Amino acid sequence: MNNLQLSLLAVSVLVLIFVLRNIIKNRMNIGYAMVWIMWAIGMVIISLFPQIVAKVARLLGIQTQSNAVFLITIFLLYCLTFYLYLRISRHNEDIVNLNYEIASLRKKLEELENAGRK
Amino acid sequence: MKTLVIIPAFNEEENIEKVVENIKEFGYDYIVINDHSTDSTEKILDEKGYSHLDLCVNVGLAGVTRVGFKYAHDNGYDCVINIDGDGQHPADQIDSLVKEIENGFDYVVGSRFVSEKKPFTARMFGSRLLCLLIKIKTGKTVFDPTSGMRALGEKVIADFSSSMNYWAEPDALCHILKSGYKVKEIQVKMMDRQGGQSYFVNPFKSIKYMIAEILSILFVQW
Repeated sequence: MNNLQLSLLAVSVLVLIFVLRNIIKNRMNIGYAMVWIMWAIGMVIISLFPQIVAKVARLLGIQTQSNAVFLITIFLLYCLTFYLYLRISRHNEDIVNLNYEIASLRKKLEELENAGRK
Repeated sequence: MKTLVIIPAFNEEENIEKVVENIKEFGYDYIVINDHSTDSTEKILDEKGYSHLDLCVNVGLAGVTRVGFKYAHDNGYDCVINIDGDGQHPADQIDSLVKEIENGFDYVVGSRFVSEKKPFTARMFGSRLLCLLIKIKTGKTVFDPTSGMRALGEKVIADFSSSMNYWAEPDALCHILKSGYKVKEIQVKMMDRQGGQSYFVNPFKSIKYMIAEILSILFVQW
Protein backbone atom coordinates (compact mmCIF):
# COMPACT_ATOMS: atom_id res chain seq x y z
CA MET A 1 0.00 0.00 0.00
CA ASN A 2 1.38 3.38 -0.98
CA ASN A 3 0.88 6.66 0.83
CA LEU A 4 -1.95 7.85 -1.41
CA GLN A 5 -3.88 4.67 -0.87
CA LEU A 6 -3.36 4.86 2.87
CA SER A 7 -4.58 8.43 3.11
CA LEU A 8 -7.60 7.67 0.90
CA LEU A 9 -8.42 4.74 3.15
CA ALA A 10 -8.06 6.87 6.28
CA VAL A 11 -10.30 9.59 4.88
CA SER A 12 -12.96 7.19 3.69
CA VAL A 13 -13.06 5.44 7.06
CA LEU A 14 -13.39 8.85 8.73
CA VAL A 15 -16.24 9.70 6.36
CA LEU A 16 -17.98 6.44 7.21
CA ILE A 17 -17.68 7.16 10.93
CA PHE A 18 -18.86 10.75 10.43
CA VAL A 19 -21.86 9.65 8.38
CA LEU A 20 -22.89 6.91 10.82
CA ARG A 21 -22.43 9.14 13.85
CA ASN A 22 -24.57 11.92 12.41
CA ILE A 23 -27.23 9.57 11.15
CA ILE A 24 -27.55 8.04 14.62
CA LYS A 25 -27.39 11.36 16.44
CA ASN A 26 -29.83 13.24 14.18
CA ARG A 27 -32.04 10.22 13.64
CA MET A 28 -31.99 10.46 9.84
CA ASN A 29 -34.82 8.49 8.30
CA ILE A 30 -33.44 5.05 7.29
CA GLY A 31 -34.89 5.46 3.79
CA TYR A 32 -32.48 8.36 3.22
CA ALA A 33 -29.71 7.15 5.52
CA MET A 34 -29.20 3.92 3.53
CA VAL A 35 -27.99 5.92 0.53
CA TRP A 36 -25.31 7.64 2.59
CA ILE A 37 -24.24 4.51 4.46
CA MET A 38 -23.89 2.59 1.20
CA TRP A 39 -21.98 5.49 -0.34
CA ALA A 40 -19.54 5.66 2.59
CA ILE A 41 -19.04 1.87 2.61
CA GLY A 42 -18.45 2.01 -1.16
CA MET A 43 -15.73 4.59 -0.62
CA VAL A 44 -13.96 2.37 1.91
CA ILE A 45 -14.18 -0.64 -0.39
CA ILE A 46 -12.78 1.30 -3.33
CA SER A 47 -9.86 2.62 -1.32
CA LEU A 48 -9.12 -0.93 -0.11
CA PHE A 49 -9.38 -2.46 -3.59
CA PRO A 50 -8.51 0.18 -6.21
CA GLN A 51 -8.38 -2.65 -8.79
CA ILE A 52 -12.17 -2.33 -8.97
CA VAL A 53 -11.83 1.16 -10.46
CA ALA A 54 -9.23 -0.06 -12.93
CA LYS A 55 -11.56 -2.84 -14.03
CA VAL A 56 -14.56 -0.54 -14.39
CA ALA A 57 -12.49 1.98 -16.36
CA ARG A 58 -11.39 -0.77 -18.77
CA LEU A 59 -14.96 -2.05 -19.07
CA LEU A 60 -16.26 1.41 -19.93
CA GLY A 61 -13.33 2.07 -22.24
CA ILE A 62 -12.08 5.05 -20.22
CA GLN A 63 -8.31 5.51 -20.43
CA THR A 64 -7.59 7.11 -17.05
CA GLN A 65 -9.00 5.65 -13.86
CA SER A 66 -9.58 9.06 -12.27
CA ASN A 67 -11.90 9.98 -15.15
CA ALA A 68 -13.90 6.83 -14.51
CA VAL A 69 -14.24 7.82 -10.85
CA PHE A 70 -15.37 11.34 -11.83
CA LEU A 71 -17.88 10.06 -14.38
CA ILE A 72 -19.46 7.59 -11.99
CA THR A 73 -19.62 9.88 -8.98
CA ILE A 74 -21.00 12.81 -10.99
CA PHE A 75 -23.65 10.55 -12.46
CA LEU A 76 -24.62 9.25 -9.01
CA LEU A 77 -24.74 12.76 -7.56
CA TYR A 78 -26.87 13.88 -10.51
CA CYS A 79 -29.36 11.11 -9.81
CA LEU A 80 -29.37 11.90 -6.11
CA THR A 81 -30.05 15.63 -6.66
CA PHE A 82 -32.81 14.89 -9.10
CA TYR A 83 -34.44 12.60 -6.58
CA LEU A 84 -34.18 15.38 -3.99
CA TYR A 85 -35.95 17.79 -6.35
CA LEU A 86 -38.75 15.29 -6.77
CA ARG A 87 -39.05 14.95 -3.00
CA ILE A 88 -39.02 18.72 -2.50
CA SER A 89 -41.82 19.30 -4.94
CA ARG A 90 -43.79 16.50 -3.32
CA HIS A 91 -43.24 18.28 0.00
CA ASN A 92 -44.34 21.61 -1.47
CA GLU A 93 -47.52 19.92 -2.51
CA ASP A 94 -47.99 18.52 0.99
CA ILE A 95 -47.43 21.97 2.50
CA VAL A 96 -50.15 23.44 0.28
CA ASN A 97 -52.56 20.68 1.30
CA LEU A 98 -51.77 20.94 5.00
CA ASN A 99 -52.04 24.69 4.78
CA TYR A 100 -55.47 24.35 3.27
CA GLU A 101 -56.62 21.90 5.93
CA ILE A 102 -55.40 24.12 8.77
CA ALA A 103 -56.86 27.27 7.24
CA SER A 104 -60.27 25.73 6.67
CA LEU A 105 -60.34 24.32 10.22
CA ARG A 106 -59.46 27.76 11.55
CA LYS A 107 -62.26 29.28 9.52
CA LYS A 108 -64.77 26.74 10.81
CA LEU A 109 -63.60 27.28 14.39
CA GLU A 110 -63.96 31.05 14.06
CA GLU A 111 -67.45 30.64 12.67
CA LEU A 112 -68.40 28.37 15.56
CA GLU A 113 -66.98 30.79 18.10
CA ASN A 114 -68.87 33.67 16.55
CA ALA A 115 -72.07 31.66 16.51
CA GLY A 116 -71.51 30.72 20.17
CA ARG A 117 -71.05 34.35 21.16
CA LYS A 118 -74.37 35.31 19.63
CA MET B 1 -75.48 28.27 -10.27
CA LYS B 2 -73.47 28.26 -7.03
CA THR B 3 -70.67 30.72 -7.72
CA LEU B 4 -67.63 31.50 -5.63
CA VAL B 5 -65.20 34.36 -6.18
CA ILE B 6 -61.63 33.53 -5.15
CA ILE B 7 -59.42 36.46 -4.19
CA PRO B 8 -55.79 35.59 -3.45
CA ALA B 9 -54.14 38.26 -1.30
CA PHE B 10 -50.55 38.73 -0.29
CA ASN B 11 -49.73 42.06 1.36
CA GLU B 12 -52.74 43.81 -0.14
CA GLU B 13 -53.70 46.04 2.79
CA GLU B 14 -54.25 48.99 0.45
CA ASN B 15 -56.59 47.22 -1.93
CA ILE B 16 -58.31 44.36 -0.24
CA GLU B 17 -61.12 46.32 1.38
CA LYS B 18 -62.10 48.01 -1.89
CA VAL B 19 -61.96 44.72 -3.78
CA VAL B 20 -64.13 42.85 -1.30
CA GLU B 21 -66.68 45.66 -0.92
CA ASN B 22 -66.91 45.75 -4.70
CA ILE B 23 -67.66 42.01 -4.80
CA LYS B 24 -70.15 42.22 -1.93
CA GLU B 25 -72.11 44.91 -3.77
CA PHE B 26 -72.95 42.33 -6.38
CA GLY B 27 -73.83 39.71 -3.78
CA TYR B 28 -71.47 36.92 -4.85
CA ASP B 29 -70.10 34.35 -2.42
CA TYR B 30 -66.40 35.08 -2.06
CA ILE B 31 -63.36 33.87 -0.20
CA VAL B 32 -60.19 35.86 0.37
CA ILE B 33 -57.11 33.69 0.74
CA ASN B 34 -54.47 35.42 2.77
CA ASP B 35 -51.10 33.95 1.80
CA HIS B 36 -49.46 34.64 5.17
CA SER B 37 -49.25 38.39 4.54
CA THR B 38 -46.70 40.31 6.57
CA ASP B 39 -48.69 43.55 6.60
CA SER B 40 -52.08 44.28 8.15
CA THR B 41 -54.11 42.33 5.56
CA GLU B 42 -55.08 39.69 8.13
CA LYS B 43 -56.19 42.33 10.65
CA ILE B 44 -58.38 44.05 8.06
CA LEU B 45 -59.97 40.74 7.09
CA ASP B 46 -60.70 39.86 10.73
CA GLU B 47 -62.01 43.27 11.70
CA LYS B 48 -64.30 43.62 8.74
CA GLY B 49 -65.51 40.06 9.17
CA TYR B 50 -64.79 39.16 5.55
CA SER B 51 -64.96 35.49 4.66
CA HIS B 52 -61.34 34.38 4.42
CA LEU B 53 -58.76 31.63 4.85
CA ASP B 54 -55.50 32.43 6.60
CA LEU B 55 -52.58 30.30 5.48
CA CYS B 56 -49.93 29.73 8.13
CA VAL B 57 -47.07 29.34 5.65
CA ASN B 58 -46.53 31.41 2.53
CA VAL B 59 -47.06 29.21 -0.54
CA GLY B 60 -46.96 31.65 -3.46
CA LEU B 61 -49.60 32.49 -6.04
CA ALA B 62 -49.81 29.06 -7.63
CA GLY B 63 -50.39 27.44 -4.24
CA VAL B 64 -52.89 30.04 -3.08
CA THR B 65 -55.16 29.71 -6.07
CA ARG B 66 -55.10 25.95 -5.66
CA VAL B 67 -56.13 26.32 -2.02
CA GLY B 68 -59.06 28.37 -3.33
CA PHE B 69 -60.03 25.68 -5.84
CA LYS B 70 -59.87 23.05 -3.10
CA TYR B 71 -62.15 25.15 -0.92
CA ALA B 72 -64.61 25.56 -3.78
CA HIS B 73 -64.47 21.85 -4.57
CA ASP B 74 -65.04 20.80 -0.93
CA ASN B 75 -67.91 23.23 -0.50
CA GLY B 76 -69.75 22.11 -3.60
CA TYR B 77 -69.42 25.17 -5.80
CA ASP B 78 -69.98 24.55 -9.48
CA CYS B 79 -68.51 27.80 -10.76
CA VAL B 80 -65.41 29.59 -9.56
CA ILE B 81 -64.27 33.06 -10.53
CA ASN B 82 -60.60 33.73 -9.94
CA ILE B 83 -59.70 37.41 -9.68
CA ASP B 84 -56.67 39.31 -8.41
CA GLY B 85 -56.52 40.89 -4.98
CA ASP B 86 -55.21 44.19 -6.31
CA GLY B 87 -58.39 45.67 -7.71
CA GLN B 88 -57.56 45.10 -11.39
CA HIS B 89 -60.72 43.18 -12.03
CA PRO B 90 -63.95 45.10 -11.40
CA ALA B 91 -66.82 43.01 -10.04
CA ASP B 92 -69.29 44.22 -12.68
CA GLN B 93 -67.38 42.09 -15.24
CA ILE B 94 -67.96 38.85 -13.33
CA ASP B 95 -71.51 38.32 -14.48
CA SER B 96 -70.52 37.95 -18.14
CA LEU B 97 -68.06 35.19 -17.18
CA VAL B 98 -70.66 33.32 -15.10
CA LYS B 99 -73.11 33.49 -18.02
CA GLU B 100 -70.66 31.68 -20.29
CA ILE B 101 -70.19 28.92 -17.68
CA GLU B 102 -73.97 28.63 -17.55
CA ASN B 103 -73.91 28.30 -21.35
CA GLY B 104 -71.85 25.14 -20.91
CA PHE B 105 -68.27 26.29 -21.23
CA ASP B 106 -65.74 24.76 -18.81
CA TYR B 107 -63.20 27.53 -18.73
CA VAL B 108 -63.80 31.19 -19.50
CA VAL B 109 -61.00 33.73 -19.71
CA GLY B 110 -61.70 37.39 -19.10
CA SER B 111 -59.52 38.82 -21.81
CA ARG B 112 -58.26 42.30 -22.44
CA PHE B 113 -57.63 41.76 -26.12
CA VAL B 114 -60.49 39.96 -27.86
CA SER B 115 -61.91 43.05 -29.50
CA GLU B 116 -59.25 45.51 -28.47
CA LYS B 117 -55.73 45.78 -29.83
CA LYS B 118 -52.72 44.64 -27.90
CA PRO B 119 -50.26 47.48 -27.27
CA PHE B 120 -46.57 47.15 -28.16
CA THR B 121 -44.86 47.02 -24.79
CA ALA B 122 -42.23 44.68 -23.37
CA ARG B 123 -44.87 42.90 -21.33
CA MET B 124 -47.11 42.42 -24.35
CA PHE B 125 -44.18 41.01 -26.28
CA GLY B 126 -44.11 38.29 -23.64
CA SER B 127 -47.84 37.84 -24.05
CA ARG B 128 -47.47 37.49 -27.85
CA LEU B 129 -44.73 34.91 -27.42
CA LEU B 130 -46.95 32.84 -25.11
CA CYS B 131 -49.86 33.14 -27.60
CA LEU B 132 -47.60 31.85 -30.34
CA LEU B 133 -46.39 28.89 -28.25
CA ILE B 134 -49.93 27.95 -27.27
CA LYS B 135 -50.94 28.18 -30.94
CA ILE B 136 -48.09 25.85 -31.93
CA LYS B 137 -48.82 23.44 -29.10
CA THR B 138 -52.60 23.28 -29.27
CA GLY B 139 -53.53 24.82 -32.60
CA LYS B 140 -55.91 27.22 -30.87
CA THR B 141 -55.75 30.99 -30.94
CA VAL B 142 -55.78 32.81 -27.63
CA PHE B 143 -55.57 36.54 -27.09
CA ASP B 144 -54.72 37.07 -23.45
CA PRO B 145 -53.00 34.01 -21.94
CA THR B 146 -51.75 35.85 -18.84
CA SER B 147 -55.13 37.18 -17.77
CA GLY B 148 -55.73 36.48 -14.08
CA MET B 149 -59.50 36.79 -14.41
CA ARG B 150 -60.93 33.37 -15.11
CA ALA B 151 -64.10 31.42 -14.57
CA LEU B 152 -63.95 27.66 -14.01
CA GLY B 153 -66.70 25.14 -14.35
CA GLU B 154 -67.20 22.12 -12.13
CA LYS B 155 -64.92 19.71 -14.01
CA VAL B 156 -62.03 22.15 -14.17
CA ILE B 157 -62.36 22.95 -10.45
CA ALA B 158 -61.93 19.26 -9.63
CA ASP B 159 -58.97 19.02 -12.01
CA PHE B 160 -57.19 22.13 -10.67
CA SER B 161 -57.75 21.36 -7.01
CA SER B 162 -55.78 18.14 -7.24
CA SER B 163 -53.07 18.75 -9.80
CA MET B 164 -49.78 20.48 -9.19
CA ASN B 165 -48.38 20.83 -12.64
CA TYR B 166 -49.85 24.16 -13.64
CA TRP B 167 -47.92 26.99 -12.31
CA ALA B 168 -49.68 30.06 -13.64
CA GLU B 169 -52.37 31.12 -16.09
CA PRO B 170 -50.69 30.48 -19.46
CA ASP B 171 -49.71 26.87 -18.85
CA ALA B 172 -53.02 26.21 -17.11
CA LEU B 173 -54.76 27.50 -20.23
CA CYS B 174 -52.54 25.29 -22.38
CA HIS B 175 -53.42 22.25 -20.26
CA ILE B 176 -57.12 23.12 -20.49
CA LEU B 177 -56.98 23.37 -24.28
CA LYS B 178 -55.00 20.14 -24.51
CA SER B 179 -57.48 18.29 -22.31
CA GLY B 180 -60.37 19.11 -24.60
CA TYR B 181 -62.37 21.32 -22.25
CA LYS B 182 -64.66 23.90 -23.80
CA VAL B 183 -62.90 27.23 -23.58
CA LYS B 184 -64.15 30.73 -24.29
CA GLU B 185 -62.40 34.06 -24.16
CA ILE B 186 -64.54 37.14 -23.66
CA GLN B 187 -63.66 40.81 -23.65
CA VAL B 188 -63.61 42.42 -20.21
CA LYS B 189 -62.65 45.83 -18.98
CA MET B 190 -59.68 45.85 -16.59
CA MET B 191 -58.22 48.60 -14.48
CA ASP B 192 -54.65 49.33 -13.47
CA ARG B 193 -53.43 48.03 -10.15
CA GLN B 194 -54.92 50.33 -7.51
CA GLY B 195 -52.03 50.37 -5.03
CA GLY B 196 -49.31 48.26 -3.44
CA GLN B 197 -46.69 46.33 -5.35
CA SER B 198 -46.94 43.83 -8.14
CA TYR B 199 -45.01 40.58 -8.20
CA PHE B 200 -43.54 41.67 -11.53
CA VAL B 201 -41.83 44.82 -10.28
CA ASN B 202 -38.74 42.65 -9.94
CA PRO B 203 -37.37 42.01 -13.46
CA PHE B 204 -35.78 38.72 -12.43
CA LYS B 205 -39.15 37.43 -11.38
CA SER B 206 -40.60 38.39 -14.77
CA ILE B 207 -37.81 36.50 -16.49
CA LYS B 208 -38.26 33.50 -14.21
CA TYR B 209 -41.99 33.59 -14.91
CA MET B 210 -41.47 33.68 -18.69
CA ILE B 211 -38.90 30.87 -18.69
CA ALA B 212 -41.06 28.70 -16.44
CA GLU B 213 -44.12 29.29 -18.63
CA ILE B 214 -42.30 28.64 -21.89
CA LEU B 215 -40.77 25.40 -20.61
CA SER B 216 -44.05 24.31 -19.09
CA ILE B 217 -46.01 24.92 -22.28
CA LEU B 218 -43.36 23.27 -24.46
CA PHE B 219 -42.44 20.24 -22.39
CA VAL B 220 -44.84 19.63 -19.53
CA GLN B 221 -48.39 20.15 -20.75
CA TRP B 222 -49.45 17.22 -22.90
